[in-house]
Amino acid sequence: MIVANTQTSPTALAGLRVLELGGLVAVPYCGKLLAALGADVVKIEPTATGDPSRRRGPFPGDAPHPERSGAFLYLNTGKRGVTLDVDDPQGREMLRQLAAQSDVVIHNSPPSLAESRELTQTILGELNPSLIVAAITPFGSGGPNAEYAAHDVNVFHAGGEGNLLPNGLALDTFPDRAPIAAGGMMASYQGGLTAAAGILGAVVAQWNGSTGQSVDSSMQEAQLAIGYLPIQRLEAEGFVETRFSRFFRMGGVLPAADGYVELLTLEPRQFEGLARLLGEPEWASADKFRDPATHGAAINENLRQWTAQHTREWLYREGQAHGVPIAPYLSPAEVFDSPQQRERGFFTEIDHPETGSYDYAGLPLRMGETPPRLTRAPLLGEHNAEVFGALGYSPEELTALARAEVI
Amino acid sequence: MDTVLADSKNGPLAGIRVADFSVHAAGPFAGLMLAEMGAQVIKIESSARLDITRRPHAMYGKPPSSFEQINANKMSVCLNLKEPRAVELALELVSVSHLALENFRPGVMQRLGLGYEAMKEVRPDIILVSLSSNGQTGPESGYAGYAPMFAALGGLGHLTGYPDGPPVELRHAMDHTGGMMAAFAAVAAISARQRNGLGQHVDVSVRDLAASFIGPELLDVAMNSRDPHRNGNRDPSAAPQGVYRCRGEDEWVSLSVTSEAEWQRFVDAIGSPAWASGDEFGDAFRRWRRHDELDAHIEEWTLRYTAAEVTQTLQARGVAAHPSLAPDAMMQDAHLQARGAFPTVYNSDTGEEQRAVAPPWRFSETPAAIDRWTPTLGQHNMEVFSGILGLPPEEVEDLERQQIVW
Repeated sequence: MIVANTQTSPTALAGLRVLELGGLVAVPYCGKLLAALGADVVKIEPTATGDPSRRRGPFPGDAPHPERSGAFLYLNTGKRGVTLDVDDPQGREMLRQLAAQSDVVIHNSPPSLAESRELTQTILGELNPSLIVAAITPFGSGGPNAEYAAHDVNVFHAGGEGNLLPNGLALDTFPDRAPIAAGGMMASYQGGLTAAAGILGAVVAQWNGSTGQSVDSSMQEAQLAIGYLPIQRLEAEGFVETRFSRFFRMGGVLPAADGYVELLTLEPRQFEGLARLLGEPEWASADKFRDPATHGAAINENLRQWTAQHTREWLYREGQAHGVPIAPYLSPAEVFDSPQQRERGFFTEIDHPETGSYDYAGLPLRMGETPPRLTRAPLLGEHNAEVFGALGYSPEELTALARAEVI
Repeated sequence: MDTVLADSKNGPLAGIRVADFSVHAAGPFAGLMLAEMGAQVIKIESSARLDITRRPHAMYGKPPSSFEQINANKMSVCLNLKEPRAVELALELVSVSHLALENFRPGVMQRLGLGYEAMKEVRPDIILVSLSSNGQTGPESGYAGYAPMFAALGGLGHLTGYPDGPPVELRHAMDHTGGMMAAFAAVAAISARQRNGLGQHVDVSVRDLAASFIGPELLDVAMNSRDPHRNGNRDPSAAPQGVYRCRGEDEWVSLSVTSEAEWQRFVDAIGSPAWASGDEFGDAFRRWRRHDELDAHIEEWTLRYTAAEVTQTLQARGVAAHPSLAPDAMMQDAHLQARGAFPTVYNSDTGEEQRAVAPPWRFSETPAAIDRWTPTLGQHNMEVFSGILGLPPEEVEDLERQQIVW
C-alpha cells in the first residue's frame, strides 16, 4: 500500500517550468497532469474572454460565470494564470520572454498560426536552446489536413474508434443509427494525456543533455495509436472490423433490474463461475460456453433475461464472489459516492474563492515518494503581477499594459 | 552503475531498461509506448502461462497475429515464475533495470515474491508501475475486471451511448488509454529519479482513469446534485453537432458548429436553403431545442455527397467536419499516409514486411519509432540471461531444459 505525506514529500516534476497556451481540453489537461506532479505551469489566456472552457460549465446553480465553470476549474488545477494578447506586438515580446525562461512550451496552434505567432522551436530555440516546444493539435503540425478545424467529436471519428461504436446491446437496439463518439470529450483527454507522456519523454532527454526539440502530437494519431487493433486485424488478416462485426458473442452490456451491467468472461474458470452463479442451466453448459460463435446468441438471450431480474449491486457482488468479471454501469452521481474511490481518496476537496469548496475527481495514479497534488485553478489574470513582475515589468508598466489590453 | 546498453536507440528514453511483467492489453501497451520512445523493454513471459495475447482470443477467436503490434520493439524472455530459481532471475533482471511494469491483480506480484519491497531490496531506486482495474487499495481492489468494466465503474460507460438507449462498452480504447496513463506515470517517475534519485511504487487505476476523464461531469454532481446522462454525438455547447449519413455504403461524416459565425458559414456552405434562413434555427438555443429536426434537414444535404466531399466543402469555410473513418479508410487516408502514420516494419518471423501504427509523437531530435516486430516467445533468452545477467550460455540452456527459463 502506498502511503505518503503529501505535505512534505517532494513532487515528481519540481523545478520543471511549463508555459501553456491553449484552451478547452487537450492542452489544459496535459498541463494539469504536469502541474499535479509538481511542474510550475503558467497558463496564458486571452485577455478579455479567457479560456473558452470558462464559458462551458457546469456552473453552480446553472448561473454562468467565468470563474465558476466546472470544465475550467477541473482542467486547470495547480496552474498559475496570466492573461496576454499574444497577437499584439508587445504581447508577443512578453510571450518570448516567458518562453526564454521555460523548459517546455505547450500550445494548440495549427502550423500556420504557430508560424505567425513565432511559436516554433526554430524561432524560440534561438532564445532558449534547450526549450521543448510541443504542439497538441487535432491532426498534427504537418500534412494535408493540418489546418482543419475540429472539435472532440470530429477527432474521435477521425481516429477510428468512433466508426466502431456502438456494439452489442446499443447496436442491437438501434442498428440504423449513426456511429457514436465516447462521452466526456474522450478524444481530447486522450490527446492531452498522450502528449503529456511524450513531453515528459523529451524532458528526460533534456535532463540527459539533449538539445531542445519540437514535439508534434496529433490527437488523431493518439486515437489511432490507442486504437491500433483494427488496423492490425486488417493488415495481418485482411479483416475489416466494423461496429457490426465487433461484438462480444457473449456477455457485454446486459440489462439489470435497475440499470445495466457489463459481463466479460475470457478464461474457462470465469465461465465455470458464471455457470455456478446461474445454477448450471442446460443453456450455459461448458461445451456451449466454449463455442460462443455457435451458441453465443442463445446464451446471450438467456443471460439478458436472467440479469434483468437482478439488481446491479447483487450481480456485481455475487458475480465477483464467483470469480466472474461483472460490473455495474455507474452514473456520475454513483461514481461520486463510490466506496472504492472514496476509500482510495480519489476525490479531493478543493476550495476556490469564487465557488467555495467542492470534491474534485483526482489523478488516477498514486506515487509513493512523489504524490500528486491538486490545488485550485487560477482566476483570470490572477498571476499577472507575479509572473510579469518577475520578467522585470514595473507595476506602472503593468497597469499601462492592462489598460492597453495587452494583459 | 547502470550497464551500458548494446541496443540503445535514438529515442528520448534510450538507456532506460524496463522489466515488463505485464500481460494482456493495458500493461503491454504501456510497455510499447516506452519501447517506442527507445527504452529497452524486456517482456517476461512463460510457456507455463502464455500471455492471453499469444493465444486465440476467447471472444473473437482470432489468431494471435492481430495482437502483435502491442509487443513490438520489445525483447522476450521466458521465466516460469512458479520456480524459485526463476524468481531469483527475475529479481536479477530487476536489479539491472530502471523500471518494472506489471498489471496482475493486486497481491499476485507479492505472492510470487516480486512485490515492490522485494524489488527494492535488490535495487533501491527501482520504479515499479502497477496498473490495475481498481488500484492497489480499497474494498474492491481484488475484483476481476477487463476494459469495459473499468469504463462502466468509472462513469465513462454511462456517458457513452444514445440518450434513449443503453450504455456502450469501451474496450481496447479503455485498456490502452490506461496503458498510456501508466506510460505517463512511468516517465514522470523516471524524470523524478533524475532529479531526486528516488525510486518508488506507482499505482495506476484504470477505473479512476475513466472517472478522471469525466471530471467536469463529476463537478456537476458536486455543484448541482445533477446526474449527467449520455448524449450520443451531441454536445450542449454546439448545435448542430452530430454524425450524418452520406452517399455510399455506411458512410458518415461528423460535423460541429459552435458559434454564430460558424453557423453562417455552414448555411452558406450548404447553399443557404430556405429552412436555414428562418427564425426556427436562428440561434444556438433554438437549434439545440430543435436538434432532431435540424439533423433531418442536414442529412438531406449530406446524403447527396460523400463524406470526403462534405468535409472539403465545410473545411473550406472553416467549419469542423471529418469523415468517420473505418479501418480501411484510415489506412488509405492521404493525410495519415503523408504523416507516415503507417510505417513498414520487417517481421523476422514471417520474413515479410508489414505495416504498423506509428508512435503518436514526432520528436524532432530524439525520434520515437516502431522498428522491430513482436519477438517470438523467449527469443532473447540467451541475449538477456547470458548477455546482460552474465550467466554462462550452458547454464541458460540448462535452465531451459529444467523448464525454469521456459
